[in-house]
Amino acid sequence: MPSAHMFNALKVMTFVLALGAVGGSAMAAIDAQDAVKARVDHFKTMGRAFKTIRDGMGNPALDNKMIAAQATIIRDTSAGVVSWFPAGSGPSASVKSDAKPEVWSDAAGFAKAAQKLQTESAKLVTVANAGDADAIRAQVRATGGTCKGCHDTYRVPDKD
Amino acid sequence: MKAELKPTAVWDLPVRLFHWLLVALILVAWLSAGKSMTVHSLAGYSVIALVVFRLWWGLVGSSTARFSSFVRGPRAILSYLRHMGERTPGQSPGHNPVGAISVLALLALVLIQTSTGLFSVDVDGLESGPLSAWVSFDMGRQFAHIHEFAFRILQVLVGVHIAAILYYAIWKRENLVGPMITGRRRFSSPVTSLGSVPVWRLIVGIAISLGLALAIARGFRV
Repeated sequence: MPSAHMFNALKVMTFVLALGAVGGSAMAAIDAQDAVKARVDHFKTMGRAFKTIRDGMGNPALDNKMIAAQATIIRDTSAGVVSWFPAGSGPSASVKSDAKPEVWSDAAGFAKAAQKLQTESAKLVTVANAGDADAIRAQVRATGGTCKGCHDTYRVPDKD
Repeated sequence: MKAELKPTAVWDLPVRLFHWLLVALILVAWLSAGKSMTVHSLAGYSVIALVVFRLWWGLVGSSTARFSSFVRGPRAILSYLRHMGERTPGQSPGHNPVGAISVLALLALVLIQTSTGLFSVDVDGLESGPLSAWVSFDMGRQFAHIHEFAFRILQVLVGVHIAAILYYAIWKRENLVGPMITGRRRFSSPVTSLGSVPVWRLIVGIAISLGLALAIARGFRV
Protein backbone atom coordinates (compact mmCIF):
# COMPACT_ATOMS: atom_id res chain seq x y z
CA MET A 1 0.00 0.00 0.00
CA PRO A 2 1.46 3.42 -0.98
CA SER A 3 2.88 5.49 1.86
CA ALA A 4 1.61 8.89 2.97
CA HIS A 5 4.61 10.43 1.18
CA MET A 6 3.61 8.86 -2.10
CA PHE A 7 0.02 10.09 -1.79
CA ASN A 8 1.31 13.62 -1.20
CA ALA A 9 3.64 13.36 -4.18
CA LEU A 10 0.77 12.12 -6.35
CA LYS A 11 -1.44 15.00 -5.23
CA VAL A 12 1.26 17.54 -5.98
CA MET A 13 1.96 15.99 -9.38
CA THR A 14 -1.73 15.95 -10.29
CA PHE A 15 -2.06 19.56 -9.24
CA VAL A 16 0.99 20.63 -11.26
CA LEU A 17 -0.22 18.73 -14.31
CA ALA A 18 -3.66 20.31 -14.06
CA LEU A 19 -2.12 23.77 -13.69
CA GLY A 20 0.04 23.07 -16.68
CA ALA A 21 -2.94 22.01 -18.78
CA VAL A 22 -4.99 25.04 -17.84
CA GLY A 23 -2.05 27.40 -18.14
CA GLY A 24 -1.00 25.84 -21.40
CA SER A 25 -4.42 26.23 -22.96
CA ALA A 26 -4.66 29.76 -21.64
CA MET A 27 -1.37 30.60 -23.29
CA ALA A 28 -2.50 28.92 -26.49
CA ALA A 29 -5.63 31.05 -26.38
CA ILE A 30 -3.54 34.18 -25.90
CA ASP A 31 -1.32 33.20 -28.85
CA ALA A 32 -4.33 32.45 -31.02
CA GLN A 33 -5.97 35.76 -30.10
CA ASP A 34 -2.74 37.54 -31.02
CA ALA A 35 -2.73 35.75 -34.38
CA VAL A 36 -6.33 36.83 -34.98
CA LYS A 37 -5.55 40.45 -34.10
CA ALA A 38 -2.48 40.46 -36.32
CA ARG A 39 -4.29 39.14 -39.36
CA VAL A 40 -7.27 41.46 -38.85
CA ASP A 41 -4.77 44.33 -38.92
CA HIS A 42 -3.24 42.98 -42.17
CA PHE A 43 -6.64 42.62 -43.81
CA LYS A 44 -7.54 46.14 -42.74
CA THR A 45 -4.30 47.40 -44.30
CA MET A 46 -5.38 45.84 -47.58
CA GLY A 47 -8.92 47.14 -47.07
CA ARG A 48 -7.68 50.69 -46.60
CA ALA A 49 -5.54 50.47 -49.69
CA PHE A 50 -8.37 49.07 -51.77
CA LYS A 51 -10.78 51.72 -50.52
CA THR A 52 -8.30 54.41 -51.58
CA ILE A 53 -8.26 52.88 -55.06
CA ARG A 54 -12.05 52.58 -55.20
CA ASP A 55 -12.57 56.16 -53.98
CA GLY A 56 -10.36 57.23 -56.88
CA MET A 57 -12.61 55.39 -59.36
CA GLY A 58 -15.16 58.15 -58.89
CA ASN A 59 -12.95 60.57 -60.82
CA PRO A 60 -13.21 60.52 -64.61
CA ALA A 61 -9.40 60.88 -64.79
CA LEU A 62 -7.66 58.07 -62.89
CA ASP A 63 -4.57 58.64 -60.74
CA ASN A 64 -2.40 55.82 -62.07
CA LYS A 65 0.46 56.44 -59.66
CA MET A 66 -1.84 56.28 -56.65
CA ILE A 67 -3.47 53.09 -57.89
CA ALA A 68 -0.11 51.45 -58.54
CA ALA A 69 1.15 52.44 -55.09
CA GLN A 70 -1.95 51.17 -53.29
CA ALA A 71 -2.02 47.99 -55.35
CA THR A 72 1.62 47.41 -54.38
CA ILE A 73 0.60 47.53 -50.73
CA ILE A 74 -2.10 44.96 -51.37
CA ARG A 75 0.18 42.71 -53.41
CA ASP A 76 2.97 42.80 -50.84
CA THR A 77 0.67 42.30 -47.85
CA SER A 78 -1.26 39.49 -49.50
CA ALA A 79 1.83 37.31 -49.73
CA GLY A 80 1.40 36.36 -46.08
CA VAL A 81 -2.29 35.42 -46.03
CA VAL A 82 -1.88 31.68 -45.49
CA SER A 83 0.82 32.19 -42.84
CA TRP A 84 -1.58 34.34 -40.81
CA PHE A 85 -3.77 31.30 -40.14
CA PRO A 86 -1.60 28.84 -38.15
CA ALA A 87 -3.24 25.68 -36.85
CA GLY A 88 -5.18 26.36 -33.69
CA SER A 89 -5.85 30.04 -34.42
CA GLY A 90 -9.41 29.43 -35.54
CA PRO A 91 -12.54 30.31 -33.59
CA SER A 92 -13.02 28.43 -30.33
CA ALA A 93 -14.52 28.87 -26.90
CA SER A 94 -11.75 31.30 -25.98
CA VAL A 95 -10.85 32.79 -29.37
CA LYS A 96 -13.09 35.08 -31.40
CA SER A 97 -12.49 34.90 -35.11
CA ASP A 98 -14.46 35.38 -38.31
CA ALA A 99 -12.49 32.61 -40.01
CA LYS A 100 -14.55 29.60 -40.98
CA PRO A 101 -13.28 26.08 -40.19
CA GLU A 102 -12.89 25.59 -43.96
CA VAL A 103 -9.70 27.69 -43.80
CA TRP A 104 -8.04 24.66 -42.24
CA SER A 105 -10.25 21.79 -43.37
CA ASP A 106 -9.93 22.98 -46.99
CA ALA A 107 -6.42 24.36 -46.74
CA ALA A 108 -5.73 23.72 -50.43
CA GLY A 109 -8.78 25.74 -51.50
CA PHE A 110 -7.88 28.52 -49.09
CA ALA A 111 -4.35 28.69 -50.43
CA LYS A 112 -5.74 28.92 -53.97
CA ALA A 113 -8.02 31.79 -53.00
CA ALA A 114 -5.12 33.60 -51.35
CA GLN A 115 -3.01 33.05 -54.44
CA LYS A 116 -5.74 34.63 -56.60
CA LEU A 117 -5.50 37.79 -54.49
CA GLN A 118 -1.74 37.92 -54.95
CA THR A 119 -2.01 37.34 -58.69
CA GLU A 120 -4.74 39.88 -59.35
CA SER A 121 -3.25 42.59 -57.13
CA ALA A 122 0.15 42.09 -58.79
CA LYS A 123 -1.56 42.40 -62.16
CA LEU A 124 -3.23 45.60 -60.94
CA VAL A 125 0.21 47.09 -60.23
CA THR A 126 1.30 46.32 -63.79
CA VAL A 127 -1.94 47.52 -65.38
CA ALA A 128 -1.90 50.74 -63.34
CA ASN A 129 1.64 51.50 -64.47
CA ALA A 130 0.66 50.79 -68.08
CA GLY A 131 -2.04 53.46 -67.80
CA ASP A 132 -5.03 52.21 -69.80
CA ALA A 133 -8.08 53.47 -67.88
CA ASP A 134 -10.51 50.76 -69.02
CA ALA A 135 -8.01 48.03 -68.24
CA ILE A 136 -7.37 49.55 -64.82
CA ARG A 137 -11.08 49.71 -63.98
CA ALA A 138 -11.54 46.12 -65.05
CA GLN A 139 -8.56 44.95 -63.04
CA VAL A 140 -9.77 46.83 -59.95
CA ARG A 141 -13.04 44.91 -60.20
CA ALA A 142 -11.15 41.66 -60.69
CA THR A 143 -9.01 42.31 -57.61
CA GLY A 144 -12.05 43.12 -55.50
CA GLY A 145 -13.62 39.96 -56.81
CA THR A 146 -10.84 37.90 -55.21
CA CYS A 147 -11.64 39.47 -51.82
CA LYS A 148 -15.29 38.60 -52.21
CA GLY A 149 -14.59 35.14 -53.58
CA CYS A 150 -12.44 34.19 -50.62
CA HIS A 151 -14.79 35.79 -48.07
CA ASP A 152 -17.83 34.00 -49.49
CA THR A 153 -16.23 30.64 -48.71
CA TYR A 154 -13.86 31.22 -45.81
CA ARG A 155 -15.21 34.14 -43.80
CA VAL A 156 -18.26 34.23 -41.55
CA PRO A 157 -20.57 36.87 -43.02
CA ASP A 158 -21.51 39.93 -40.97
CA LYS A 159 -24.82 39.22 -39.23
CA ASP A 160 -27.86 39.84 -41.33
CA MET B 1 -74.29 51.07 -29.90
CA LYS B 2 -74.01 54.67 -31.06
CA ALA B 3 -75.15 55.31 -34.62
CA GLU B 4 -72.25 56.19 -36.88
CA LEU B 5 -72.24 58.84 -39.55
CA LYS B 6 -71.12 58.19 -43.11
CA PRO B 7 -67.38 57.88 -43.62
CA THR B 8 -65.15 60.96 -43.33
CA ALA B 9 -61.79 61.42 -45.02
CA VAL B 10 -58.99 61.11 -42.45
CA TRP B 11 -55.79 60.34 -44.36
CA ASP B 12 -54.83 62.00 -47.63
CA LEU B 13 -53.42 59.98 -50.52
CA PRO B 14 -49.77 61.10 -50.14
CA VAL B 15 -49.75 59.97 -46.50
CA ARG B 16 -51.23 56.60 -47.38
CA LEU B 17 -48.91 56.04 -50.33
CA PHE B 18 -45.95 57.05 -48.17
CA HIS B 19 -46.97 54.55 -45.48
CA TRP B 20 -47.39 51.50 -47.69
CA LEU B 21 -44.48 52.26 -50.02
CA LEU B 22 -42.28 52.55 -46.93
CA VAL B 23 -43.45 49.15 -45.72
CA ALA B 24 -42.70 47.55 -49.09
CA LEU B 25 -39.32 49.27 -49.49
CA ILE B 26 -38.12 48.38 -46.00
CA LEU B 27 -38.96 44.76 -46.78
CA VAL B 28 -37.12 44.94 -50.11
CA ALA B 29 -34.09 46.56 -48.48
CA TRP B 30 -34.07 43.94 -45.76
CA LEU B 31 -34.27 41.00 -48.14
CA SER B 32 -31.71 42.36 -50.58
CA ALA B 33 -29.09 43.34 -47.99
CA GLY B 34 -25.85 41.49 -48.71
CA LYS B 35 -27.47 39.71 -51.65
CA SER B 36 -28.27 42.27 -54.34
CA MET B 37 -26.67 45.55 -53.42
CA THR B 38 -28.04 47.23 -56.55
CA VAL B 39 -31.60 46.52 -55.40
CA HIS B 40 -30.63 47.36 -51.81
CA SER B 41 -29.23 50.78 -52.76
CA LEU B 42 -32.23 51.58 -54.95
CA ALA B 43 -34.56 50.71 -52.09
CA GLY B 44 -32.50 52.88 -49.75
CA TYR B 45 -32.54 55.90 -52.06
CA SER B 46 -36.30 55.47 -52.49
CA VAL B 47 -36.76 55.39 -48.72
CA ILE B 48 -34.75 58.60 -48.44
CA ALA B 49 -37.00 60.22 -51.03
CA LEU B 50 -40.10 59.02 -49.18
CA VAL B 51 -38.94 60.27 -45.78
CA VAL B 52 -37.85 63.66 -47.15
CA PHE B 53 -41.27 63.95 -48.78
CA ARG B 54 -43.02 63.00 -45.54
CA LEU B 55 -41.09 65.64 -43.62
CA TRP B 56 -42.13 68.27 -46.15
CA TRP B 57 -45.72 67.01 -46.19
CA GLY B 58 -45.73 67.11 -42.41
CA LEU B 59 -45.25 70.84 -42.74
CA VAL B 60 -47.61 71.68 -45.61
CA GLY B 61 -49.94 68.71 -46.08
CA SER B 62 -53.53 68.13 -44.98
CA SER B 63 -54.50 68.54 -41.32
CA THR B 64 -53.88 64.96 -40.20
CA ALA B 65 -50.59 64.84 -42.10
CA ARG B 66 -49.10 67.78 -40.25
CA PHE B 67 -46.78 67.16 -37.32
CA SER B 68 -48.30 70.19 -35.58
CA SER B 69 -51.63 68.35 -35.40
CA PHE B 70 -50.39 65.21 -33.65
CA VAL B 71 -47.05 65.93 -31.96
CA ARG B 72 -48.21 66.91 -28.50
CA GLY B 73 -46.64 67.70 -25.11
CA PRO B 74 -46.51 65.59 -21.93
CA ARG B 75 -49.91 66.71 -20.66
CA ALA B 76 -51.77 65.60 -23.78
CA ILE B 77 -49.79 62.36 -23.83
CA LEU B 78 -50.60 61.56 -20.18
CA SER B 79 -54.22 62.51 -20.68
CA TYR B 80 -54.47 60.14 -23.65
CA LEU B 81 -52.70 57.37 -21.75
CA ARG B 82 -55.37 57.51 -19.06
CA HIS B 83 -58.03 56.57 -21.63
CA MET B 84 -55.93 54.24 -23.74
CA GLY B 85 -57.07 51.15 -21.86
CA GLU B 86 -60.76 51.72 -22.65
CA ARG B 87 -62.41 49.18 -24.87
CA THR B 88 -63.87 51.79 -27.19
CA PRO B 89 -62.46 53.27 -30.40
CA GLY B 90 -61.10 56.81 -30.30
CA GLN B 91 -63.19 59.50 -31.96
CA SER B 92 -60.65 62.04 -33.17
CA PRO B 93 -59.14 61.86 -36.64
CA GLY B 94 -55.42 61.37 -37.22
CA HIS B 95 -52.60 60.15 -34.97
CA ASN B 96 -53.17 60.29 -31.21
CA PRO B 97 -50.47 61.78 -28.92
CA VAL B 98 -49.04 58.35 -28.05
CA GLY B 99 -49.09 57.10 -31.63
CA ALA B 100 -47.26 60.30 -32.51
CA ILE B 101 -44.28 59.13 -30.46
CA SER B 102 -44.20 55.97 -32.52
CA VAL B 103 -44.36 57.96 -35.75
CA LEU B 104 -41.41 60.13 -34.73
CA ALA B 105 -39.38 57.18 -33.47
CA LEU B 106 -39.91 55.21 -36.68
CA LEU B 107 -39.08 58.21 -38.88
CA ALA B 108 -35.93 58.89 -36.85
CA LEU B 109 -34.79 55.27 -37.05
CA VAL B 110 -35.43 55.08 -40.78
CA LEU B 111 -33.39 58.27 -41.23
CA ILE B 112 -30.54 56.82 -39.17
CA GLN B 113 -30.77 53.56 -41.09
CA THR B 114 -30.54 55.17 -44.50
CA SER B 115 -27.91 57.78 -43.67
CA THR B 116 -25.52 55.28 -42.07
CA GLY B 117 -25.85 53.14 -45.17
CA LEU B 118 -24.65 56.03 -47.30
CA PHE B 119 -21.27 56.07 -45.56
CA SER B 120 -20.88 52.32 -45.01
CA VAL B 121 -17.82 50.47 -46.23
CA ASP B 122 -18.23 46.74 -46.85
CA VAL B 123 -15.73 43.98 -46.16
CA ASP B 124 -15.27 42.92 -49.77
CA GLY B 125 -14.32 46.40 -50.95
CA LEU B 126 -16.84 46.32 -53.78
CA GLU B 127 -20.16 47.56 -52.46
CA SER B 128 -19.66 50.61 -50.28
CA GLY B 129 -22.20 53.42 -49.91
CA PRO B 130 -22.30 56.37 -52.31
CA LEU B 131 -20.78 58.80 -49.78
CA SER B 132 -18.22 56.39 -48.33
CA ALA B 133 -15.38 58.22 -50.09
CA TRP B 134 -16.03 61.09 -47.67
CA VAL B 135 -14.93 58.99 -44.68
CA SER B 136 -11.95 56.78 -43.81
CA PHE B 137 -12.00 52.98 -44.17
CA ASP B 138 -12.20 52.52 -40.41
CA MET B 139 -15.00 55.08 -40.02
CA GLY B 140 -16.85 53.49 -42.94
CA ARG B 141 -16.65 50.10 -41.23
CA GLN B 142 -18.04 51.72 -38.09
CA PHE B 143 -20.95 53.08 -40.10
CA ALA B 144 -21.55 49.60 -41.48
CA HIS B 145 -21.75 48.17 -37.95
CA ILE B 146 -24.12 50.94 -36.84
CA HIS B 147 -26.19 50.40 -40.00
CA GLU B 148 -26.62 46.78 -38.97
CA PHE B 149 -27.34 47.55 -35.32
CA ALA B 150 -29.86 50.26 -36.16
CA PHE B 151 -31.81 47.72 -38.19
CA ARG B 152 -32.22 45.56 -35.09
CA ILE B 153 -33.75 48.54 -33.31
CA LEU B 154 -35.96 49.29 -36.30
CA GLN B 155 -37.21 45.70 -36.26
CA VAL B 156 -38.16 46.08 -32.61
CA LEU B 157 -39.98 49.35 -33.30
CA VAL B 158 -41.88 47.80 -36.20
CA GLY B 159 -42.83 44.94 -33.89
CA VAL B 160 -44.15 47.42 -31.32
CA HIS B 161 -46.04 49.24 -34.07
CA ILE B 162 -47.73 46.03 -35.25
CA ALA B 163 -48.52 45.02 -31.68
CA ALA B 164 -50.16 48.39 -31.13
CA ILE B 165 -52.28 48.00 -34.26
CA LEU B 166 -53.40 44.59 -32.99
CA TYR B 167 -54.15 46.05 -29.57
CA TYR B 168 -56.36 48.70 -31.12
CA ALA B 169 -58.12 46.14 -33.29
CA ILE B 170 -58.74 43.52 -30.60
CA TRP B 171 -59.00 45.47 -27.36
CA LYS B 172 -60.25 48.86 -28.46
CA ARG B 173 -62.27 47.51 -31.42
CA GLU B 174 -60.73 50.19 -33.63
CA ASN B 175 -59.59 49.24 -37.13
CA LEU B 176 -56.56 51.36 -37.97
CA VAL B 177 -55.47 49.49 -41.09
CA GLY B 178 -58.62 50.11 -43.16
CA PRO B 179 -58.47 53.90 -42.93
CA MET B 180 -54.75 53.87 -43.80
CA ILE B 181 -55.72 52.10 -47.03
CA THR B 182 -59.00 53.78 -47.98
CA GLY B 183 -58.35 57.08 -46.25
CA ARG B 184 -61.86 57.07 -44.76
CA ARG B 185 -63.39 56.26 -41.39
CA ARG B 186 -66.77 56.43 -39.68
CA PHE B 187 -67.09 58.56 -36.56
CA SER B 188 -69.98 58.72 -34.09
CA SER B 189 -70.15 62.50 -34.24
CA PRO B 190 -69.12 64.93 -36.98
CA VAL B 191 -65.42 65.72 -37.33
CA THR B 192 -63.75 68.30 -39.53
CA SER B 193 -63.06 66.84 -42.95
CA LEU B 194 -59.56 66.92 -44.41
CA GLY B 195 -59.95 69.64 -46.95
CA SER B 196 -57.79 69.89 -50.01
CA VAL B 197 -54.16 70.87 -50.33
CA PRO B 198 -52.89 72.99 -53.25
CA VAL B 199 -51.28 70.77 -55.87
CA TRP B 200 -48.12 72.90 -56.07
CA ARG B 201 -47.18 71.71 -52.58
CA LEU B 202 -47.31 68.12 -53.76
CA ILE B 203 -45.22 68.92 -56.84
CA VAL B 204 -42.60 70.82 -54.82
CA GLY B 205 -42.43 67.97 -52.31
CA ILE B 206 -41.86 65.38 -55.01
CA ALA B 207 -39.23 67.59 -56.67
CA ILE B 208 -37.29 68.14 -53.45
CA SER B 209 -37.36 64.51 -52.40
CA LEU B 210 -36.48 63.07 -55.81
CA GLY B 211 -33.79 65.68 -56.37
CA LEU B 212 -32.11 65.00 -53.06
CA ALA B 213 -32.29 61.22 -53.48
CA LEU B 214 -30.77 61.44 -56.96
CA ALA B 215 -27.99 63.73 -55.78
CA ILE B 216 -27.18 61.34 -52.96
CA ALA B 217 -27.18 58.34 -55.30
CA ARG B 218 -24.61 60.14 -57.45
CA GLY B 219 -22.49 60.99 -54.42
CA PHE B 220 -23.24 64.66 -55.01
CA ARG B 221 -21.02 64.55 -58.08
CA VAL B 222 -22.08 66.87 -60.89
